Amino acid sequence: MRVGVFKFSSCDGCQLAFFELEEELLRLSEKVQIQYFLEASSKNTWDYFDLVFVEGSVSTPEEEERIKKIRESSRFLVAIGACAVSGGIQSARNFEDFSEIYFSVYSGRYEVNPLSKPLSDFVKVDLEIRGCPINKEALREVLIALLQGKSPQLPSYPVCLECKRKGNPCVVVAKGLICLGPITVAGCGALCPTFERGCYGCYGPVEKPNLQALLEGYSRLRVSQDLLKELLRISFNGYNKSIREWL
Amino acid sequence: MKVQIEALTRVEGEGSLEVFLRDGKPESLRLSIYEPPRFIEGILKGKPYQVIPDITARICGICPVAYQMSGVQAIEDAFCVKIPEDIEEIRRLMYFGEWVQSHALHVFFLHLPDFFNVPSIIELSKIDKGLVLAGMEIKRAGSLIIQTLGGRTSHPVSVVPGGFSALPESLSELKETLEKALEKALWTVEKLKALNFPDFELKEVLFVSLIEEDYPILKGDIYLEGVRVSPKEFKSVFVEFEVPYSTAKHAMTKDGRVYLVGPIARFNNAFEKLSPLAIETAHKLSLEPMVKNPHKGILVRIVEIVHALERSIRIVKDYKKPQKSKVEVVPKSSTGYGVSEAPRGILWHSYSFDSEGRILSADIVPPTSQNQRAIELSLWELIKDRENLKEDWLRDHAEPVIRSFDPCISCATHFLKVSLKDAKKFTLA
Ligand code: SF4
Ligand code: SF4
Ligand code: SF4
Repeated sequence: MRVGVFKFSSCDGCQLAFFELEEELLRLSEKVQIQYFLEASSKNTWDYFDLVFVEGSVSTPEEEERIKKIRESSRFLVAIGACAVSGGIQSARNFEDFSEIYFSVYSGRYEVNPLSKPLSDFVKVDLEIRGCPINKEALREVLIALLQGKSPQLPSYPVCLECKRKGNPCVVVAKGLICLGPITVAGCGALCPTFERGCYGCYGPVEKPNLQALLEGYSRLRVSQDLLKELLRISFNGYNKSIREWL
Repeated sequence: MKVQIEALTRVEGEGSLEVFLRDGKPESLRLSIYEPPRFIEGILKGKPYQVIPDITARICGICPVAYQMSGVQAIEDAFCVKIPEDIEEIRRLMYFGEWVQSHALHVFFLHLPDFFNVPSIIELSKIDKGLVLAGMEIKRAGSLIIQTLGGRTSHPVSVVPGGFSALPESLSELKETLEKALEKALWTVEKLKALNFPDFELKEVLFVSLIEEDYPILKGDIYLEGVRVSPKEFKSVFVEFEVPYSTAKHAMTKDGRVYLVGPIARFNNAFEKLSPLAIETAHKLSLEPMVKNPHKGILVRIVEIVHALERSIRIVKDYKKPQKSKVEVVPKSSTGYGVSEAPRGILWHSYSFDSEGRILSADIVPPTSQNQRAIELSLWELIKDRENLKEDWLRDHAEPVIRSFDPCISCATHFLKVSLKDAKKFTLA
């Protein structure tokens, strides 16, 4: 199996999950040929891939071209992480005046798109691994399942379920904190509630998030629609297809 | 004419190196970074101060703790919050975890393959599996610290202004892993001792690091050539500016001098403050200040790994869960500064807030921006007298130089391309 790992606009955090596989990575490398992975190897070839992992969002004209080229040369494409799945934290700008943001950092001349977008806005994505960053367990599950020709089992239920399974006291009830757990997909092991804070949404929304119900639930805590919107925009997944319209 | 390497590899981020030739001789070069900017500073504007540690962490997947630490300290500086010693000690521990994890990644996964003439750690493992496995074990120990304190190895969730959202009851389960990793690190030192280094010196470069009572990591003034500068004065001594060929800004001292931050600078400025085993390790490696050969960064990193592990073991042994995991933070209209030693060097943050703690402006200077000039200078030394420069030669020789600096291009905005251009078409702005 020929594998490629690619990077777009991102922080490199998701690629690191490959390095975290450590010895498994060495063992896997006997079964798969890693043909392209710039951060890991100085020998890279790009012709045809059975499987590619793509980190990062599409935010320049060059990236728009490159993701299409990758799609053409790949049989199975996996988007890894909030940047690739939803546009990432850099997509928080999609809800604001781009020129103001742009000039607060640079004085001009780079070719950057006003919007930071998920891969799926440009090409067909075969599978998503969620998280900012993804975790190595999910990556291992996907690699092994695909190697065996099975479909990977990743959670689709919300963080709340993991939280209850762990026996965490609910931070909304116990501390009056806002928590995006009810609409965020599980996989992290309900980390934030375990550390006594609300989930900020880094695994992105569940398939059909009921935002209206969440808002009604939180109105009792005096959380306004505006505040909830603000939190979702900076949830690292604000530009996800299933919530961007609501924002 | 120009010579070009299409893609720099085994560095964090995307960039290129172009060398411009006139009559076949190198005339100038540029390290350009074409990683798209992500406008994190711009996005922060108008947001509440609490989002700083989570959002700035995402500038870099390799050193998120550094971003979180500089970030929260800038907030605390603005709101005049004093952090108790015991919480600072845990911050140090978490930060040591990041040094170990990040340095081990660079030493074993990214840099070491160069010394064995192989393209990757996977190939290296076929030559010396023991060394690779030791590197992985060391990295895992660093990761375990961060995971224990913050839930996960990258973008941990517990760091908040004022301290931690929650802290573990005990850290005793870390002790054994750290001790084993320290043993492994000392074992790899014997192997690294045998590496061959190209003869090469950085000339005319200032070494800049923080100054603390201990070997610098969490906070302190900025130190250069005997002068101390407070975090607030940073911008009056250093300037950050844009260059037309790069999405990462560059930095120099105001009087136009090139400076270097990171392990070599820290080592040169604070050698005597290293832990006992780290000093011993340096002696074993025949390393003493002033280290001027950037290739030896790999050795300094292993010394710092030993230091970080030895210190971490002490903190873990002494750990008693603090009464409170965080102190109260009350926002006010003000400006604050935070600076710490990221694995790659000083990372400076500054924020202005309104009375409710909303961010009015954000300014972040990462280590790699500061080192770009020193990298260019080193590359220039390498190529300036070469005739008949070819792309293959450039890739084989220039890439390792760049890698030895451990540039994190994601931070500076990551991936290097190398090219030789017609001098006439190129103007330095
Ligand atoms: S999803 Fe998060 S961790 Fe992954 S590359 Fe993007 S910012 Fe980094
Ligand atoms: S703390 Fe958050 S994730 Fe856990 S049960 Fe409550 S709402 Fe759900
Ligand atoms: S609890 Fe929410 S924000 Fe925290 S790690 Fe899990 S998905 Fe991310």
